[in-house]
Amino acid sequence: MQAWYHCENVYPFVPQEVLDRADSVRASLPNKYCDPDIAANLFEECLDEHLLCDELGVNVVSIEHHSGINSLYGASPMILGILARQTKRVRILSLGTLISIRPDPVRIAEEYATADVISRGRLEIGFVKSGDSEMVSGNANPVGFVDRFWEAIDLILKSLTSHDGPVSWEGKHFTHRHINIWPPPYQRPHPPLWAATGDPETSAELGRRGIINALVLRGPEASKRAFDAYRHARREAGLPAPGTDRFAYAALAYVGDTDEEGVRIGSKLLWFLNTSLKQAPQYSRLLPGRTPPEIASQNYRTQPRPGAPVVRRPADSLIGITAEQAIARGILCAGNPDTVYRQIMDIHKTVGGFGHFIFIGRSGFLDHHEAEKGIRLLAKEVLPRLPAATTTAAAEPAHAAE
Amino acid sequence: MTDAERLTVEGIELEVLRRGKGRPILILHGFDTIDSEAPFLDLLGRYGELIVPSHPGFGQSPRPKDFDTVYDLVHLYLATLDALPSDKVTLLGFSFGGWLAAEVGAACSHRLDKLVLVDPIGIKVSDRETPDILDVFNRSPDEVRRRSWHDPDRFAPDYNAMSDDALVVHARNREALCLYAWHPYMHNPQLPRWLDRIAVPTLLVWGASDRVVTPDYGRAYSRLIPNSRFALIGRAGHHPEIEQPEAFVERVAEFLNP
Repeated sequence: MQAWYHCENVYPFVPQEVLDRADSVRASLPNKYCDPDIAANLFEECLDEHLLCDELGVNVVSIEHHSGINSLYGASPMILGILARQTKRVRILSLGTLISIRPDPVRIAEEYATADVISRGRLEIGFVKSGDSEMVSGNANPVGFVDRFWEAIDLILKSLTSHDGPVSWEGKHFTHRHINIWPPPYQRPHPPLWAATGDPETSAELGRRGIINALVLRGPEASKRAFDAYRHARREAGLPAPGTDRFAYAALAYVGDTDEEGVRIGSKLLWFLNTSLKQAPQYSRLLPGRTPPEIASQNYRTQPRPGAPVVRRPADSLIGITAEQAIARGILCAGNPDTVYRQIMDIHKTVGGFGHFIFIGRSGFLDHHEAEKGIRLLAKEVLPRLPAATTTAAAEPAHAAE
Repeated sequence: MTDAERLTVEGIELEVLRRGKGRPILILHGFDTIDSEAPFLDLLGRYGELIVPSHPGFGQSPRPKDFDTVYDLVHLYLATLDALPSDKVTLLGFSFGGWLAAEVGAACSHRLDKLVLVDPIGIKVSDRETPDILDVFNRSPDEVRRRSWHDPDRFAPDYNAMSDDALVVHARNREALCLYAWHPYMHNPQLPRWLDRIAVPTLLVWGASDRVVTPDYGRAYSRLIPNSRFALIGRAGHHPEIEQPEAFVERVAEFLNP
């Protein structure tokens, strides 16, 4: 199994009374609360954690979130560029540039190809749909963003795989008449593709396309539903059954010397759920386009109608969660190496296997020193015991350009 | 909506409300579709035949595939003018529908006899760092409510009291509005250049307490339309037809039948 270290580079140092007073810790929280000196230290620490991963054989993830305490990685391609140069061995997953809020997918392809070349073919490209406050911060129309997401993927792939001079794209959402990126990607036909999503319809489409499906903080049951949809869609389409190399499971995770230490420090990761998800209603449940009007309509009620189905986004059910609940729900793996191994294998069994374990190993007030200890223990004491991924027949293996 | 009918234009099916008899008055709704129970409908129906379609994607009007821009809406209503039996039509638009009515007026005023714009949006008048039009998507629901109504406690919709069906219509309206008007936000940067093409008498009616688009914005709008006058309605916000139906209809009637 491949392990992937995922750090959001959060900014937890805003006074609690400011966060309590704000209706949203994303999109509208003034950036005067972000001290650039502290931010510089955080970048240094987080990038060092990625370099430690490189020594230990743990792959690294570069994420992107915008305008809030939940992440300082708003410019993911810049982080990718640094990782591409400074790491030497491991694979680098972008999860990912927010393609549905960026105006020009060709530019994104250019950034990805550059990082792939600098890293000599160690890039993997993950697509995330984004939504909510990031539509607002990104000035992107929330209505129709899923359609835009798929066209952006198609255009990025067209840009990465066209090598014989300019090609043209005049699509529904994007037009670009002269596509001829330099450099082209190092890997051919293109770096491996991922997408982070949880709804079965999207997973089915990923299945048909053979894109690796990552489930982030969704727990085993929802992950199984998504993976089942993926398998089913491939079967329906007459494609070979997927190996576990097509599936990724992401959880908060911390390995300590003892169960007590693992849970005590691992609990700090819950800050991400309990503090950094707060969004004003106009950036979340009342923003059009996220769910069909038949469902979204109930969000206008401040007092739910008796008997009406309660409509909640997946993230809503994570706010306020305790460590015990998070462990029971497969959102958090924490304890000594044996415990964490067992927790991961239980999830592995429930979902029907996965070849990639993405662990969010630093968040909130969990500090650099603690993060590095957790990474070392996971890499040395847990990862070697996890089962190898099975491969997917006829899946295009990534290989370096001649 | 008992008196709902259908109107088909260019193969596009529209839900439509009808009231009254006489000169045709085509009414283009704003952020929300018009409630068939709204008192101003019967009052205004004394002065003409009201034809009140729901824009595609709003109310019960389906939205055809790839019909998703203000350009589509403007062409739809230009085609609607051609589809109506009369040579001349009175066009009245509220808010977002006022924008559409101004576009139609600039493109085709020879098909109109008069134009009424009620708290219309659609143009940019201030500098690039001063928003003219309240961001009804990005600002808090409380602020939007406060700035939309003179007396929000009395007139703002109570979502908790609405039926599921009415709420679905509201959610459809919001989604369609967002699709059409997210960017550039609620305006066409090119429209001011063409407003002097409106060659018919035009009345701009404005709620004095409107803080979605202020009366000053309305006065600037009026200055761009040659044969226009500007009328304020007191004790009304962005929806004078709802908060002050009698005063609203009186102003419009004076303009239609001087």
